[in-house]
Amino acid sequence: MKLSLLKKCNLRLTILWSLISLSAHAQINTDGLKINQYSGLKVTSVVENTDIPEWIIQELHPSTLSLSEQRQELQWFKSQAVPFTGLTIRVVSEHIDTHLYESEVLAKAFYDLTGIHVIHELTGEDDVIKKISAQIVTGLNLYDAYINDSDLIGSHFRSGAITTISELLTFKSGQYTLPTLDLNDFIGLQFTRDPFGIIYQLPDQQFVNLYWYRSDWFENPRFKAQFKQQYGYELAVPQNWQAYEDIARFFTDDIKTIDGIRVYGHMDYAATDPSLGWRISDAWLSMAGVGDKGLPNGLPVDEWGIRVENCHPVGASVSRGGALNSPAAIYALDKYVDWLKYAPAEARSLTFSEAGKWLATGKIAQQIFWYSAFVSDLTQPNLPIVDAQGMPKWKVAPSPVGQYWQKGMKSGYQDAGAWTFLKNTPKDRQIAAWLYAQFLVSKSVSLKKTLVGFTPIRLSDIESDVMSKKAPYLGGLVEFYRSNARNVWTPTGSNVPDYPNMAGFWWQYVSKIVDGTYTPKQGLDAFAKRVDDHLAQLEQTMVDTQCAPKMNPIKAESFWLSQPGSPKPLDQSVIKGQTLPYEEAIRVWN
Amino acid sequence: MFGIKLLLLALLSMYSFAVCSADKLTLVTYSEVPFATQTGNVKQGLVIEFIEALFKQTDLQYEILFFPLKRGMAMAESSLNTCVLPIERNQQREVHYSWIGPVMVSRYGLFSASPSQPPLVALNDAKLSSIGSFLGSGIGEYLTQFGYRVDLTNNDTLNVKKLQRGRIDFWAADLVSAKAIMRDNDIHFGEPKIIFFTSIRAMACHIDLPMATQKKLNDALLKLYQSGYMAQLHQKYGLSL
Repeated sequence: MKLSLLKKCNLRLTILWSLISLSAHAQINTDGLKINQYSGLKVTSVVENTDIPEWIIQELHPSTLSLSEQRQELQWFKSQAVPFTGLTIRVVSEHIDTHLYESEVLAKAFYDLTGIHVIHELTGEDDVIKKISAQIVTGLNLYDAYINDSDLIGSHFRSGAITTISELLTFKSGQYTLPTLDLNDFIGLQFTRDPFGIIYQLPDQQFVNLYWYRSDWFENPRFKAQFKQQYGYELAVPQNWQAYEDIARFFTDDIKTIDGIRVYGHMDYAATDPSLGWRISDAWLSMAGVGDKGLPNGLPVDEWGIRVENCHPVGASVSRGGALNSPAAIYALDKYVDWLKYAPAEARSLTFSEAGKWLATGKIAQQIFWYSAFVSDLTQPNLPIVDAQGMPKWKVAPSPVGQYWQKGMKSGYQDAGAWTFLKNTPKDRQIAAWLYAQFLVSKSVSLKKTLVGFTPIRLSDIESDVMSKKAPYLGGLVEFYRSNARNVWTPTGSNVPDYPNMAGFWWQYVSKIVDGTYTPKQGLDAFAKRVDDHLAQLEQTMVDTQCAPKMNPIKAESFWLSQPGSPKPLDQSVIKGQTLPYEEAIRVWN
Repeated sequence: MFGIKLLLLALLSMYSFAVCSADKLTLVTYSEVPFATQTGNVKQGLVIEFIEALFKQTDLQYEILFFPLKRGMAMAESSLNTCVLPIERNQQREVHYSWIGPVMVSRYGLFSASPSQPPLVALNDAKLSSIGSFLGSGIGEYLTQFGYRVDLTNNDTLNVKKLQRGRIDFWAADLVSAKAIMRDNDIHFGEPKIIFFTSIRAMACHIDLPMATQKKLNDALLKLYQSGYMAQLHQKYGLSL
């Protein structure tokens, strides 16, 4: 059902895009620019006498476009921005290297190019979400656009508050749509569509959660021999949680120090903070195997443990057919808390942004999943995890999976920060912001931006020679993005109907499990009930909303646990640790 | 016998006080023209009017106290049924309070004493400059977090003098409040060189505020937005975006 919808959507998009290209072509000709012709979506002609500030050309190097194509693309922005020159617009995004570069350098380039002054604010992702909600509630034009994680897709398509990308592409016959936008080149569009194929957001940056480990330590003959002697198998990339746990224990309790420095076999973060919730909702439950098979998210039960029926969320607790307090979820939280004993004591007081950079200290042997947004922090020269030639002493690989995981399920999390436009934004401001958004993701900009923040969005960039040359310095990130794995590591999906409010529940309950107020079972029972109560409330308030919650009646948990798929019954089988050499481990990406 | 009666009376009084104080919310605000000011017993400003309108929609009792912001935040964090407003809601503060909001939206700018200085294109153009803010200010925390040189005072009014005397290069301030402070001090720095941040200010209450009370207040606030009251109130005090 979903596949056929997607196919229809793709067909519609292809037709739509052809129309846009034609109309954009016609518009540019009307404006009197010297453009000869387009060959499909690719610009093949050369524009003469372009007036692009030289520093911008210098800054935006390298690009997958030729210099003349780049000048031509930049000229398009300059021309289309004329009606908006002098306008100051406001956008907001989370604080990662990619967005820092956008706010400090690319916003200035856009201003010099177009005369549109962009105030590109940076803040925490939780603040971005609060601000979107505030603009919707108050009706005030707080921002003209947001770069917001695609995790909110379930909220956005139900809210009725979003100007979709599909609408913007065709606004005024596509007059303000970059002819060389090339939607098919974006690797993350499947994350920003609703269940019916409408595109709600345009990806601006993507990063992934991957297993991270010290390849130099794992290849050390002494450590390898000692590990094999103690655990009975090779020290290599762990394929399951038992192996991960064995390796964690090995470095923390057995090896203890390397070159006189205390080392640890595990790293995580657990401070009471909104990012604690994301740690668990992003990946711990999906890796454990809480949800069902299906991509980008499990169906009918996703990794939040929410069951949907015909796109309607029907409950999160096992008694309603969900899996948030299922044995698999309890297993995930149990391991998350238990393994903190293998991490440095500081892990309990760190947040997302603090922990990401902690690996650079050179004291950590492995991390079950690590946000690749921090690549640049771990590739700086003179770090203990980078050798004298600038090559990393670490690698990334697929994360090990838990006891309940099965082939066909998502393998981890990918973050897709994407342009989001609200309907209550004045149209001229929204279109000016749409131009800025397209500038930041254009082929003129995207490769350079990828080299700054390592958060790729375009296939053409990933497959470029520039990235081939860079690959050995990035520990496996390029290999990941060149493989099909980029479709198997996925964001939160469309099952979650009210992400802004429901995301807050995660840290509230998980923090009480971490501090021992609740056992994992008690905490998840309470949490699942809270989610069910909230879904039931939404069922009352989201009248006439498509795909609104429709709660299942409560049944005995044994009923649901005996059905096929998620929620899955308790599995107490003993699984032996399994590892693979790096080259074999990443073969699953192909 | 009399002694026992007296003891019972005392216990009853203590019980009623406990019940009353449990039901009554203490709302801490701080002097910030034109949002909240106190002259003698007269309290006025946007925040005071907002509180009256909000609580009129509920059956909740309240009292308003004036304290410096930093102290108000500490009180709301440590004392049950205590709230502080208006404070910037951000990710660092999120887990320390129960939130009612948004109460107001503020825009922040960098003011300079030099009228001839050209406007800044991006905030990082002020990266090497010293910027004045005040203790407890969310915008001060924001700039510090991003590596800016922030100089904090006890209250925002002092920054006007510091900027005038060249002890700081810029003053980071809420636009409406800055206008009022400049007017009261008969100093005019003109328009800000850049308006760089939008903040949502909210009422932050003790983390254990009962969920029913929090819901009651948030529902009442939503009604104030839906009825157009909040827009009128913001307009009255010059809060426009």
